[in-house]
Amino acid sequence: MKNRLLMVFTLTFVLLLGACSESTIPEGAEGGGQGNGSGDVDQEIIYAATSDVVGLSPTLTNDSVSSNVIEQVYEKLFVRNPETMEIEPKLAESYETPDDLTWVIKLKEDISFHDGTPFNAEAVKYSFDKLRDPETAAPRASLLEPVDEVNVLDDYTVEIKTKYPYGPLLSALSHANAAIISPEADEKQDLMQDPVGTGPFKFVSWTTGDEVVLEKNEDYWEGAPDLDKVTLKVVPEISTAISMLQTGEVSFIDGLPSEQISRIEALENVDIIRKEGTPVYYLTFNHSLERNQDPEFRKAVASALDRDAFVEKLNGLGIRNDSILGPQVFGYDEEASDAGTDYNVEEAKKLVEENGYDSEPIKLLTANRDNFVLMAEIVQAQLTEAGFTVEIETMEWATFLDTARTGAYDMTFLSWSNVTGDGSEMFYPNFHSDNVGNSNRAQYSNPEFDKLVEESRTTIDENKRKEILNEANHAMLEDNAAIVMYHGIVTAATDKSIKGLQLDPNGQWNLYNVSRE
Amino acid sequence: MIALIIRRFLQLVFLLFGISFLVFSSMYIAPGDPAAVIGGPTATESDISAIRANLGLDDPFLVQYARYVGNAVQGDFGYSYQTTQPVADAITVRFPNTLKLAIASMVVAVIIGIITGLISALRQNSWLDVSATTFALAGISIPNFWLGAILILIFSVNLQWLPVGGMSNPFYTVEGLKELVLPAITLGTGSAAMIARMARSSMLEVIRADYVRTARAKGVREKNIIWIHTLKNAMIPIITVIGLNFGFLLGGTIITEKVFAINGVGRLMIDAIAARDFPMVQGSVLLVATLFVLVNLLVDIVYTYIDPRIKYD
Repeated sequence: MKNRLLMVFTLTFVLLLGACSESTIPEGAEGGGQGNGSGDVDQEIIYAATSDVVGLSPTLTNDSVSSNVIEQVYEKLFVRNPETMEIEPKLAESYETPDDLTWVIKLKEDISFHDGTPFNAEAVKYSFDKLRDPETAAPRASLLEPVDEVNVLDDYTVEIKTKYPYGPLLSALSHANAAIISPEADEKQDLMQDPVGTGPFKFVSWTTGDEVVLEKNEDYWEGAPDLDKVTLKVVPEISTAISMLQTGEVSFIDGLPSEQISRIEALENVDIIRKEGTPVYYLTFNHSLERNQDPEFRKAVASALDRDAFVEKLNGLGIRNDSILGPQVFGYDEEASDAGTDYNVEEAKKLVEENGYDSEPIKLLTANRDNFVLMAEIVQAQLTEAGFTVEIETMEWATFLDTARTGAYDMTFLSWSNVTGDGSEMFYPNFHSDNVGNSNRAQYSNPEFDKLVEESRTTIDENKRKEILNEANHAMLEDNAAIVMYHGIVTAATDKSIKGLQLDPNGQWNLYNVSRE
Repeated sequence: MIALIIRRFLQLVFLLFGISFLVFSSMYIAPGDPAAVIGGPTATESDISAIRANLGLDDPFLVQYARYVGNAVQGDFGYSYQTTQPVADAITVRFPNTLKLAIASMVVAVIIGIITGLISALRQNSWLDVSATTFALAGISIPNFWLGAILILIFSVNLQWLPVGGMSNPFYTVEGLKELVLPAITLGTGSAAMIARMARSSMLEVIRADYVRTARAKGVREKNIIWIHTLKNAMIPIITVIGLNFGFLLGGTIITEKVFAINGVGRLMIDAIAARDFPMVQGSVLLVATLFVLVNLLVDIVYTYIDPRIKYD
């Protein structure tokens, strides 16, 4: 009997051993928690994200949650002003373009990384060369694909030579992936786990799947921020995150789903921030299919879609606008707002009947996230009313990306958050024939359009670029190549004690000016 | 007994080989490219092929599998495709949370389940029995996510007695216990209901056995009849249900972990599958399989304690 008991205890002990092997208290995570206690004026905020950061190196990640942390720790040479949408220098002091292939950038002086390494032209060269190096396998190496070489002219001057004139270079340099990393830290440690930048907040700890903790950078070159501590907490279920916001366990959340807006609006301790954003959600055809190449077919589909009715379902979180480049994107022109095909179900019915478009069902592919399923159901109902037969195929994200890339669908919904806010960054990856079978999931190939997009990329003059992008935008609209369902409104909900939070139109935010009252 | 343990561990080795091959091949065949998920929708072809080459995804299937097994037998379970973090580290951080949750919900389930089943059996067909049976039926039928959301609404949002979510304090502190209450009830209710049903039917069977009647006839006190003669003999099927449930709970409880923002193995596994993070999926599945085998072994050993007639040698 004793032996048996001993064995039971031994096995139980083996199972329990795992529990004791690791402390579950993350470093620096004391306090926090139930924030509705006494310390309401603690300069500390907790942000709830629905997924964990993938990593903390700007070079090696390309997802919005990681970017939100990276943007607080690292800085870029240029930033897009969220109000004016103009590109402004950040770590750069000024720049000039002596010729179409050369950009000479003067850097700000007396700035240090969190590890004490000085920020200088060498650090810029190191960061950009690392991003471009095929060995690094950076997810957005293509951002600097047009760059031929990066040269150090003196301690605080870098020269960027491009292979061809490249208009959106400053936009590319304002992308989180082009943030400047500390060369010394990169050689010493893994920046994915232990990041070092020049930003207003320093990294403290990351408990994977649970939280990331940052603290104030007292020596920040623009002056220390008000907040002492920032915690990103992973709360996968948005309705749990809203309850936590209500009880004060977290202080802000973002990316509010339209179906939860009325619940959040009813919370007394919460403010909602809404801002017209750069994300666009559209229905696209698989342009490699013969039926979809018929302009009358695309016109019939476009006429059948009552997009006003759809946008009304978004509880104020969508903007109805025909233009593919949204109002917050560089290259947008007001006149494109109603340049698409108008809703006219009778016209659609006539086209379907005359051309026999109802003979073969349409496979409408959709990812099972965000508002995509809702879009698919409404579009299916509207197309059915016009006489089409539509079958919805729903897939989880990774399978969807693969299926759409290979073009195994008739029509699908795609979206683009457009982090840099530049029109070329929308058109080139999504619709240029160079990228068919990859990021051009619409399989769109139009030589005239390609030419305009190439010109928009290789022209330096901003006014000229804007004209070209507008022309390309109109070309797509006239062609009904993609039908915009809505342009996104970016959102956040914060505890009322939080002041100064500013959302970027791409949905990201910066906590430098944020404080708690 | 020792022979049983040795046999089980040998079986485990073969089992783990089989499972790793199945998982590896199903992830390999499944649509969705990990490089495309890492690159995100904005990555170009050259970006994605660089990532693929870097992860060794261009190698043939058997080369990739052999490399994995070769490293795994040396204790190296690889690195996450997504975060580049060692798989073993990612699991070590999360497993204590899953274990805490599994044990706490099992405690809830065993206490509620056995007491309810016992009362139900001893007062068969009374109003107590009817209420207990109704509870058991409701417990099995109520979905976890609904129960969790309702408990949060009542006890965290309205009464503000307990935190909404998270699990960052040690379980022996007041804060740590508070964090465990709601998830344990949410998760334990289903198992409690199952245990209650099993306890009821098993007790009813034993209570009518000849030796119980004999004990009564001999004038043994009712308390002793229930606790010593009946319950112990009714325990075998109950232990089986407890063991099976505990095995499942250790595999991570995706919904409860999600609703209560608990950083556990279930969530790790589901996130890894969504991101096609093969090494992470492999690592977590192998862990779950090992635990399942160990728990079953534990159950088999407990049998011999409860019923000395059971022998394995």
